[in-house]
Amino acid sequence: MPRWGMVIDQDKCIGCQACSTACKSENNVPHGSPDEQRLRKDIYWNKVIAVTSGKYPKVNTEPISMPCMHCDDAPCVTVCPAKATYRREDGIVVQDFRRCIGCKYCIVACPYGARSFNSKEQEEKEYLRQDLPPDRSVWGQWPFPTRTHGVVEKCTFCFHRIDQGIKEGKKIGKEVVPACVEDCPTRARIFGDLDDTHSEVSSLLASRDWIRLREGLDTKPKVYYLLK
Amino acid sequence: MALTFSQIEGKSKGFYILLIILAAFTLIGFICFMVSYITGHHVLGTSNIIPWGMPIIITIYLIGLSAGSLILSSLTYVFKKEEYRPISRLAVFLAIILIFGAMMGIALDLGRPEKSWRLFMFFVLNNMRSMFAVNGILYGGYFLIGIVYLGAIFAEKYRFIRMMGMLAVFWAALVHMGTGAIFGFIATRPIFFSPIKPFEFLAAAMVSGLALLIIAVVAIFKFTKRDFNKTIIFSLGKLLLTLIILLAVMVLVDKLTHLYSPDREPIVWLLTGTYSWTFWGLQAGLAYILPIVLLAHPRCGMTIKGVIVAAFSVVIGIFGERFALVIPGTAYPLPFYPGKIEGIWGAAGSFPITPVESFMSIGIFTLMGLFLLVGLKYLELLPVGQTGQQAPQPEKKI
Amino acid sequence: MKKSNMSRSKEMKQTTLKLDRRTFLKLSGFAGAAIGANQIIRLDTATASPSPKNSQSALEEKWIATSCLNCQARCATRVRVMNGKAVKITGNPYSQVSEGKICPRAHIGLQVLYDPGRIRTPLKRKNNEKGKGIDPKWVPISWDQAFDEITNRLKKLREDGEPNTLLLFYGLTTISIEDMILRFAQAFGTPNLISGDGLDSETEKSGNWMADGHYTHTAYDLDHTNYILAFGADMVESIKPLSRFLRKWGKIRREKPNRTKIVVMNPRYSLTAAKADEWIPINPGTDGALAMAIAHVILSEELYHKAFIKDWTVGFDSYKKWVLSQYNPKDVSRITGIQPEVIQRIAREFAQTQPAIALRGKESINWPDGSFTSYAIFCLNALVGSIDVPGGVIYQESIRYNEMPRLVEDDIARKGKAKPDLDFRGTDKFPAAKVVTNQIPESLLENTPYPIEMAIGFNSNFNMFAPGTDRWDKALKKLPYYVHLSPFISEMALYADLVLPSTTFLEEWGYDHSPSGSGFAEVKIKQPVVSPYGSSRSVIDILFEITRRLEGGVAQSFANMGDHAEGFVKFRTGPLIPWTDFLKKGVWIGKDYEYRKYDRIFHTPSKKFEFSSGNLKSLLVKMKKGKEEGLDYLPHYKEAKFLGEKEKCPFVLLPYQPLMVIENGSQNYPWAQEIFLPMHGVGWETLVEINSETAKALKLKDGQAVWIESPFQKIKAKVKFSEGVHPGVVAIPVGQGHYSYGKWQKGIGVNPNEIIGVDYDHISGQAAFFNTRVKVYKA
Repeated sequence: MPRWGMVIDQDKCIGCQACSTACKSENNVPHGSPDEQRLRKDIYWNKVIAVTSGKYPKVNTEPISMPCMHCDDAPCVTVCPAKATYRREDGIVVQDFRRCIGCKYCIVACPYGARSFNSKEQEEKEYLRQDLPPDRSVWGQWPFPTRTHGVVEKCTFCFHRIDQGIKEGKKIGKEVVPACVEDCPTRARIFGDLDDTHSEVSSLLASRDWIRLREGLDTKPKVYYLLK
Repeated sequence: MALTFSQIEGKSKGFYILLIILAAFTLIGFICFMVSYITGHHVLGTSNIIPWGMPIIITIYLIGLSAGSLILSSLTYVFKKEEYRPISRLAVFLAIILIFGAMMGIALDLGRPEKSWRLFMFFVLNNMRSMFAVNGILYGGYFLIGIVYLGAIFAEKYRFIRMMGMLAVFWAALVHMGTGAIFGFIATRPIFFSPIKPFEFLAAAMVSGLALLIIAVVAIFKFTKRDFNKTIIFSLGKLLLTLIILLAVMVLVDKLTHLYSPDREPIVWLLTGTYSWTFWGLQAGLAYILPIVLLAHPRCGMTIKGVIVAAFSVVIGIFGERFALVIPGTAYPLPFYPGKIEGIWGAAGSFPITPVESFMSIGIFTLMGLFLLVGLKYLELLPVGQTGQQAPQPEKKI
Repeated sequence: MKKSNMSRSKEMKQTTLKLDRRTFLKLSGFAGAAIGANQIIRLDTATASPSPKNSQSALEEKWIATSCLNCQARCATRVRVMNGKAVKITGNPYSQVSEGKICPRAHIGLQVLYDPGRIRTPLKRKNNEKGKGIDPKWVPISWDQAFDEITNRLKKLREDGEPNTLLLFYGLTTISIEDMILRFAQAFGTPNLISGDGLDSETEKSGNWMADGHYTHTAYDLDHTNYILAFGADMVESIKPLSRFLRKWGKIRREKPNRTKIVVMNPRYSLTAAKADEWIPINPGTDGALAMAIAHVILSEELYHKAFIKDWTVGFDSYKKWVLSQYNPKDVSRITGIQPEVIQRIAREFAQTQPAIALRGKESINWPDGSFTSYAIFCLNALVGSIDVPGGVIYQESIRYNEMPRLVEDDIARKGKAKPDLDFRGTDKFPAAKVVTNQIPESLLENTPYPIEMAIGFNSNFNMFAPGTDRWDKALKKLPYYVHLSPFISEMALYADLVLPSTTFLEEWGYDHSPSGSGFAEVKIKQPVVSPYGSSRSVIDILFEITRRLEGGVAQSFANMGDHAEGFVKFRTGPLIPWTDFLKKGVWIGKDYEYRKYDRIFHTPSKKFEFSSGNLKSLLVKMKKGKEEGLDYLPHYKEAKFLGEKEKCPFVLLPYQPLMVIENGSQNYPWAQEIFLPMHGVGWETLVEINSETAKALKLKDGQAVWIESPFQKIKAKVKFSEGVHPGVVAIPVGQGHYSYGKWQKGIGVNPNEIIGVDYDHISGQAAFFNTRVKVYKA
């Protein structure tokens, strides 16, 4: 059973935010308005934060792209009462819109701010799409052309691509990758099986220094950041 | 001399006016809920940084009041303190409607309330590691126990009452410790994260439940023109003082622990930042300091007015305690990475007061008020003396 | 009596108990029903989602190869279309300019296509009053009516023998459209074709031209370079072609054995500086001095590439003498604010890490003497032998599109084209300039060299993106008749008498190639992925129709070229690649790049790289402006002339372009707007960045509203305390401040171009953006 993880090379990442934009277009993630951003009601599946330290002229700003960490010991999985978020066998932490009751306990528990609550019905017609990635639950596929408000959503590691790719016998991590990985222009993001010693992610983790965010909380996140 | 209970007449003008006002606000609250349900939670003050707002604060507050009220009723039915018998039926009834109100509050806060049945699919569809799910068992069971308990009290089956009473006390303690655990077990939020939270919540429940009970008793007895024994109130006041001190000590220990590393920044922010007024003003000021001063004071503690003012202060202050937990607890920005996080990701959240949320919240209270009035009218909750005098004489003076 | 009382009370109790039980049962019954009802009444929006079976089977998926046009790079893309709706844009792996990768703006193309503010039909102005904030009162008319109106007016210009009074503007359009517009200008008979290049980086071109004769952007062989010295270049934010730089950044940092070292000199700590190895803050406008000082170190320590200098350059001795006499690092240190040791160190690193390139960006060269700064920096490449070698400066192969048939030029056209240019290009005012975009307002307002009767704007928005926007507004207002073509009502379209809805790049046929960068040639196709919105038409089709109606020589010049957009593209790209292949793959790539073409690469009098510019000399002498001998042909540094006095306006304004600025003239794209300023973690606004110490000295508070006032205008924005800004500089992003249309851009942020003064690099006509002084104070 593969254990999917992501490696983000901080030396190559240039904070261009192609990952955030590609994710929004791939997954039909609604945008917010200026007020909604100010009040933090808008939805981000992948966000790029900038962390600054130092003083002029010895200043350092690090752009850090944060998808959902798909933690192996995810606090959100522990606290979801309705089993709407759960860890699949292959390591992806899934959010099932159908089961989610919108209690927002997972948002409270997530240390990475990866989750967003959908707080309004989208009016813009551009969000009506027939093709959206199916939302998996134990009872089979449930296409979700428009999202419903009142549930929590987050990055899915584009499991729709992975599952389709596995069905078609393609190599995950090489031929099939999440949208953010595919559209990162610097190729700073690599996706693959952390348990496969021959995968690119494993060889990168073996050969470069890396960190994970908020290691102290012991959530065992599966997104690794290679240091500059 | 036996104590009997009766309904209130419920025919006065005051009663009907109050009924209409409560019903009106409940209706407005319901309309606001429908607005929030149909168009989405963007009309509320919650956001992706402060995901829990007024409904949750009210919920945990009401659970506290309910659990506290039920535990205090056990003074009579379990611990056989006869002097509190006149108010114990009311205490149990209050507990029931308060937990109902709390469950309403949770339903209002959910993004998809029509799926709230999922909270009760214990072990089948629920993840029992989640304290929310465990609390589903606890609140559901508590509601049922409360109803059975009240039924037993009405049926005057004394041994059954005693058994239910013990179960009710034990369960009520679990309920509010469970609520505390919802917060206390979340490592992400340092203001929440503490093993003392369940105990803190239990103490807060007793304190607020008792204060509410005092107010309810005095108010209802006064409105229905019953005399009540002042010594009950004073002894309850002394009990309240003890419980407040206990609570304050627990909170002090909790905050002191958090002032040591690691993760002390959020607590420092709570004590000194934009929401520090909720802690110092509402929680410490109104819930602890003012009531302690009033109740410990030799003269004030011995006047009904003093006890009532102290009880009001507690009731508001404990609400502030819940607010000071939930809002600053989630408002503090998460430290994804060491350094200064720029822009919205590193900024503390703000919780605007929105009309929809406010009226929804008021609606919960008025709904419970409605239930209380209806219950007083149709159920025998209030004590009546043998001689027609509306209050019993205690057997012993305290 | 007691007994009876007791029994009665017991009865009462029993009855009340009964009532009790009953009411309780009722209550619990209700409760149960309520819970059950939840399951039955599904109040969620189930009606909005079709049943699974239907949606799965009815899905038609297409992947169409096309290219992007949200900036000049024109990256090849593939668009996924579901049931006739474009849902995803991703890169085209056949493209090699950026190795199949696209920048974030390409994804925003979906929002450009489905912009709710687009116009559906041609619009005619009803309200003759023109100005900012004045409602034009657009009235929809038919295409026929629009064409009639336009062609009648155009015909009249030709009949009056004054075709040159037609002014043509174009902003970001496909190369195919540019070719068509140029042909139109030539056939019609007007020399006044104004692109947005004069606002971009003409000084880069003039600097190159002075050295090697190529009046083009520079291409760099990024794959193999080991050291990049970036002068004011925002390599990962706004350089051209951006996607190439983004991809190669990843490659040169971690995908080759030697990690390329990147050093950035900029008064602002840009994202590029943040990701580079070293950020060296520099006093604004002194990059030329720094380049000369670096040359000083290389020359004095004899670190230059002796073979290349000897074999393939001229003027080295005078250059060397000049540099060594004037640009000692100690003196330059005072000018630039950089320590002499630092200058010496990076000069040595630059010369000793082979191959190395010195790269210029707008911020270093869009100054009044920018051409010479550009020349000075470019010469550094020659000094270390980085000309036409792997890892150095390379020369972009041009593309041999199928030649258009001979132009049918009549007398009217010939006479018209012989008239002077409106922008004074190629005159002694701007001797080497190919276009002086920002000169147009003055020319229009002063009627020099002659008044303009009619103008047509093709997706231009110069009154937002040129310095001194209010003169543009005045000049546009003065135009007797203005036709604007774009998919939306841009700020420039507000002054139009007629607006024609053109298609976006996802709905039209075209061919495109990237600006200089890859070295090898690459052509990308544009083909419609969806049918055009409303009744919009592609510009090429519009031009074919106009020329058809104009008849005569103009129509004949457009014959036999395909007759419509698809045909035109097929015609032009025919010899390169079979049409069906082109449709499927979307790109054609030329032969591999050939290095060291020294015998034919230098278009200079000496046919070699010139440290003393023979091109410039012959041009200036021709215009009787230049002296025969002299330093005016050597790269040099002249102290920048600022607009505004230091005492009154203590700060230098540094406008910069964040990556999320969509260069098509609109910013009405929420996906771009919400992540507009990643270094500051906010979107939807303009932030003025000031050094934190400077800001404290001004007694400002972080986040408060301030006025930024130049000698010309003032704007209001929120201040941000920054550790990444030179103390004497105030940095502000461009791209916001739109006011013409758009829920997602109107009234958001401010436009720094409103307060920037008008100045030019006089060699190339490039508008100067960085030499305006401002003062900042509480609002």
